Amino acid sequence: MTKRLLEVEDLRITLQAGSGTITPVDGVNLALGRGEALGIAGESGSGKSLTLKSIIGLLPQGAQVEGNLRFALGDESPIPYTSTDVHGRGISIIFQEPMTALNPTMRVGDLIAEGPRIHEGLSKTAARERAVELMRQVGIPAPERRAKMWPHQLSGGLRQRVMIATALSTRPKLLLCDEPTTALDVSIQDQILGLLQEIRINLGMSIIFVSHDLAVLGELCDRLAIMYAGQIVETGPTDDVFTKPNHPYTEALMTSVPSFDATSVKLAGIEGHPPDPRSFPPGCRFSPRCRYAREDCTEADFELVATDADRSSACIHTEVFAEGGR
Amino acid sequence: MSAFLEVRDLTVTFRVGSALKARLRGEPPPDLTAVDGISFTAERGESIGIVGESGCGKSTLAKAITGLVPVASGSLHLDGNPLTARRDPATMRRIQMVFQDPSSSLNPSLTIERMLSELLNVHRIVPRDAIADRCGELMELVELPRSLLKSRPGRLSGGQRQRVGIARALALEPEVLIADEAVAALDVSVQAPVLNLLNSLREDLGLTLMFISHDLAVVRYVSDRVIVMYLGRAVEDRSTAELFDDPRHPYTRALMAAAPKFGVKKAPGESALKGEPPSALKLPSGCRFRPRCPIAEEICEQTEPDLAGPSPIQRAACHFAWDGHEVRS
Repeated sequence: MTKRLLEVEDLRITLQAGSGTITPVDGVNLALGRGEALGIAGESGSGKSLTLKSIIGLLPQGAQVEGNLRFALGDESPIPYTSTDVHGRGISIIFQEPMTALNPTMRVGDLIAEGPRIHEGLSKTAARERAVELMRQVGIPAPERRAKMWPHQLSGGLRQRVMIATALSTRPKLLLCDEPTTALDVSIQDQILGLLQEIRINLGMSIIFVSHDLAVLGELCDRLAIMYAGQIVETGPTDDVFTKPNHPYTEALMTSVPSFDATSVKLAGIEGHPPDPRSFPPGCRFSPRCRYAREDCTEADFELVATDADRSSACIHTEVFAEGGR
Repeated sequence: MSAFLEVRDLTVTFRVGSALKARLRGEPPPDLTAVDGISFTAERGESIGIVGESGCGKSTLAKAITGLVPVASGSLHLDGNPLTARRDPATMRRIQMVFQDPSSSLNPSLTIERMLSELLNVHRIVPRDAIADRCGELMELVELPRSLLKSRPGRLSGGQRQRVGIARALALEPEVLIADEAVAALDVSVQAPVLNLLNSLREDLGLTLMFISHDLAVVRYVSDRVIVMYLGRAVEDRSTAELFDDPRHPYTRALMAAAPKFGVKKAPGESALKGEPPSALKLPSGCRFRPRCPIAEEICEQTEPDLAGPSPIQRAACHFAWDGHEVRS
């Protein structure tokens, strides 16, 4: 494996909800190599976005974080950090909604120039030039003219490109992507994925990409982590996970979306709906919806176990699943 | 013999600016043509998918057919009877729509039972004393437990709410059901059951289904026939099998290339379709897809191609779509 850039160890996030507390992220371990692209897949409420935001310290107020986060700012191995260490210096994030994530009271050029001005002390003109250069790099046509526009004057695709330029302006080593293409049209999504792939290869950046869409993750990511109800239930190289999922939830996810290539085989889908973080089921949290569930599934302790080199699964009956599955 | 649902030259326009200012400047009124001369027919029981990106007019088309937005020109016929802007309740009943976001399209202050019984009562679908039973039947039809009748939409999950949205539409016993992005707001694991439900309802009740989506894969799953829209126009109208085997319009081909597929890595900087659709207020001359089209030639700049082809359900609006085929429009 390449040198480590980021390590997340036993991450647990607790939030106040009404009178009680909930634990939407419950014991997540992640490791990311330099230049690697990791995809986190999961449905709404699986804790994938919170995991991502905890890496850059953008959690909602009142969130309690336990666990260890380590990041390599220089060339050494990852060390513990606080969010101020990495803001504008090592880690950037782009969000799903380019409409609400950009400050509507700033011109696009100033938005992009803000990072370099604060963190590198560039002068106004130098920062403005850098902004235009970045806008060109992310494929915005006529960047000089567009730098003077307001966010609301741009289309969704262009706004997402502006957000990417803003994220790149501080030359991060790690780019966190929180469903950046979900709100976009297919053809624009395709353009943005191509752009992210280009940036990643040209700048040697690492990416963590969060999405509910496995096919989108597959286009960009080397490795996948599948999240369900606050836990990572399977990890592995993208191609291996697609060809032979090691967890029933992964398999169910793959068979519940109509594939573009296959003609209509009846979609399986998953019974029930994702569990409420206020009352996660005991034992394996997927067991109430799992078609392979056995009696002992509801008592099993959660543990992500290595199945092959480079792969792991939290299913305690991988052998049954493998036989009954494919 | 006329078709069950016939849409001819349907055009919907919206006023987007001040008409007075435009008149003072001596300009034409600032109208945006959201749906621009769409024609197609649907047989009873057919399932038609309408595909396109945001702003292509697919939802406006749906609303115009349902009677929720006024039609600027063109005509609509259902079973040989013209559908006008003002419809009596009996006609309204025949075409029903399921909306995208079930959390904002259901009245949050009514229980599911109130919501359904109000419809049944107003439209006099069943005698008053049978209303409670019918509500239960409707819940069973959309595979929900009867016990949920007493809850309000806020208590339900997204998938359950969308099922209530479908039950609400089915309460009026429609003949045409229009589903506008009915699964787009749902989690992936609950999309499939809703799609399967729509498929089985269509078979069991003999509904004509119009399924509107931006997602080609979803449309392929539920539709017999697909109409692809671009900037207010239909650019291709084919049977699903043919369309996916052999797309004829370059826009359809690009949309298919752009859809993410399992196990295919993205090449850096590559994309199937460059640029973004032009504004519907400033349409390019000739074919509206021309500025982004990889095979555009001079003729595309001068004449806008008609939606034409060898048969009524083999049509594509491209000058080069049917090279070597006999074409009639």
